[in-house]
Amino acid sequence: MIESYLPILIQALIASGFAGVTLLLSVMLGKSSKRNAMKDSAYECGMLPLGEAQPRFSVKFYIVAMLFVLFDIEVVFMYPWAIIFKDYVNTIGHDIFWSMMGFVSILLVAFIYAWKKGALRWDN
Amino acid sequence: MNPLNIELGLGVLGLLLLLAEPFLSSSRKVLAYVAIAGLLVALLTLITSGGSMSVPATMQEFYIADALALFYKGVAIISTLAVIIISLEYAPVLNKFVAGDNARGKEAGLGEFVSLPLFVCVGMMVMASAKDLITIFVSLELVTVSFYVLVSFMRRSAMSLEAGVKYLILGALSTGLLVYGMAWVYGLTGQMSLDGIQKALVNWKGDNTPLLFGAALVLAGLGFKVAAVPFQIWVPDVYQGAPTPITAFLSVGSKAAGFAVLTRVVETFTAKGSVIGDQVIQLLLILAGATILVGNLSAIAQTNFKRLLGYSSIAHAGYLLLALACVHQHSLAIAPRNIVAFYLATYLPMTFLCFLVLSAAKAQGVGEDLKSLKGLGHKSPLLGLALTIALASLAGLPLTAGFMGKMFVIFAATYESNYLCLALAIIGAATGFYYYFKVILTIYSTPEVETEKIRLSVLSKVMLGVFVAAIIVIGVYPDAIQHVLVAAVK
Repeated sequence: MIESYLPILIQALIASGFAGVTLLLSVMLGKSSKRNAMKDSAYECGMLPLGEAQPRFSVKFYIVAMLFVLFDIEVVFMYPWAIIFKDYVNTIGHDIFWSMMGFVSILLVAFIYAWKKGALRWDN
Repeated sequence: MNPLNIELGLGVLGLLLLLAEPFLSSSRKVLAYVAIAGLLVALLTLITSGGSMSVPATMQEFYIADALALFYKGVAIISTLAVIIISLEYAPVLNKFVAGDNARGKEAGLGEFVSLPLFVCVGMMVMASAKDLITIFVSLELVTVSFYVLVSFMRRSAMSLEAGVKYLILGALSTGLLVYGMAWVYGLTGQMSLDGIQKALVNWKGDNTPLLFGAALVLAGLGFKVAAVPFQIWVPDVYQGAPTPITAFLSVGSKAAGFAVLTRVVETFTAKGSVIGDQVIQLLLILAGATILVGNLSAIAQTNFKRLLGYSSIAHAGYLLLALACVHQHSLAIAPRNIVAFYLATYLPMTFLCFLVLSAAKAQGVGEDLKSLKGLGHKSPLLGLALTIALASLAGLPLTAGFMGKMFVIFAATYESNYLCLALAIIGAATGFYYYFKVILTIYSTPEVETEKIRLSVLSKVMLGVFVAAIIVIGVYPDAIQHVLVAAVK
């Protein structure tokens, strides 16, 4: 049982060993002690870094992203429901339809609420 | 009648109020009155047809409507009613911290502040009936997620936001612990329903360590929700930062629902013959002892009334846990689950009274420090008297409801011979007298600056009268609650 985990251990050892050896070699071979402003600056693929590291985004982006996730999840739930619908509609009956309609209508309320509250307006 | 209808009705009402909010042009207070009317109808339905409710066969696996469930459903509805009435008092403060300067006249945010407690109420009512891990989890999340929004509702107040972030992070952590524990219990027993888990625990062969690990994680997760030490760190800051009606809701409603679930879970773990029964009782006793001690001792030094009530809420959770741990006593006529229910029923009116006074005071420009409450008893004699009765009851003065609750807990612990916890409970009760009476002393002392008389709306006055009456009636005639608990079975 426990022997079957041996490859993982070896993999972990190789990974950490490679990282360790690389770091050690760069200290031994490179001129690591010499520091200057250029060396300490952020490395941006060779470009000079511009602007701030964390620019501020308008809150509108977050609202749209949240709404997207919300309605994306709705579809995630609807796919499996649509697939099993035909198999179960005879055994469970109409409940299988109305339970999904209930779920969708709750989300519809949320959608109308978000719309009326101006969450979808971009121009203010 | 299907008991789930009440929950569904309240949920639909919450959705309709949410939908009405952006379309409404008149005062947002209408929404609060509609919610109050809806909750009253739900309460009436529960009282009149509670006994005759039957759970359909398809739901019996995960939903139960016994006396305990109906009792906690009632507690959920009454606390939601009280919260909405208190938020009407608190509306000016909410408006100040929710709306920007240009939208201040429009009562921004009050509509959502009414509909979200309804969702919490639905969650708490389902929690009261849940007897299956999935149902417990989903209903608990409905409550917790709504609370994340409510706690950080005053978005222009840095303290409310801080409280929201703290509650979110620790709430997520506790949910993680709870779900991890549930996964262990389910993985080991192969059962989702509490009945099935109980059977598996009784018939368990072999090592019980993994089971104990799962059970301890579940207890830790629920310990966060009911604010048991050492899972209480979030309480003072969140209680202080959250809008006052929500603090009251957290400290009564959320705790009651947490204990409803905890009662069922602990009864499952400690059932007769369960292989982890004794260890779970030990764990509960340790939690209870630590909670009583830390809650009461930390409350002594508090100068902010809201924080003091937060620590008081921790201390009371300790007594409740102690009652839960007393599973063996047979000589006492009242079962531990009923002691817990009784204690929560007494805890509800006294805590809400304190928060009602606090909200009204804050809305009318008085601070939340103990110092700024000075002279309240002289300026508004009736309000001062109500607060005095509530605080005396929280301390456990005889002839008030709080005394009977504590007495039952101490009786149960005596029968069980938990002498260490008994000693801690008595030390805690004695400490309580000091810090609750310090508040009473403050409100009757002479203020440094003249304060205005605090005015209450008619609804709040009715609530004040009903709760004061409840404290005294239960304190003199505790059988009233016992009858409710027993009669609901018939």
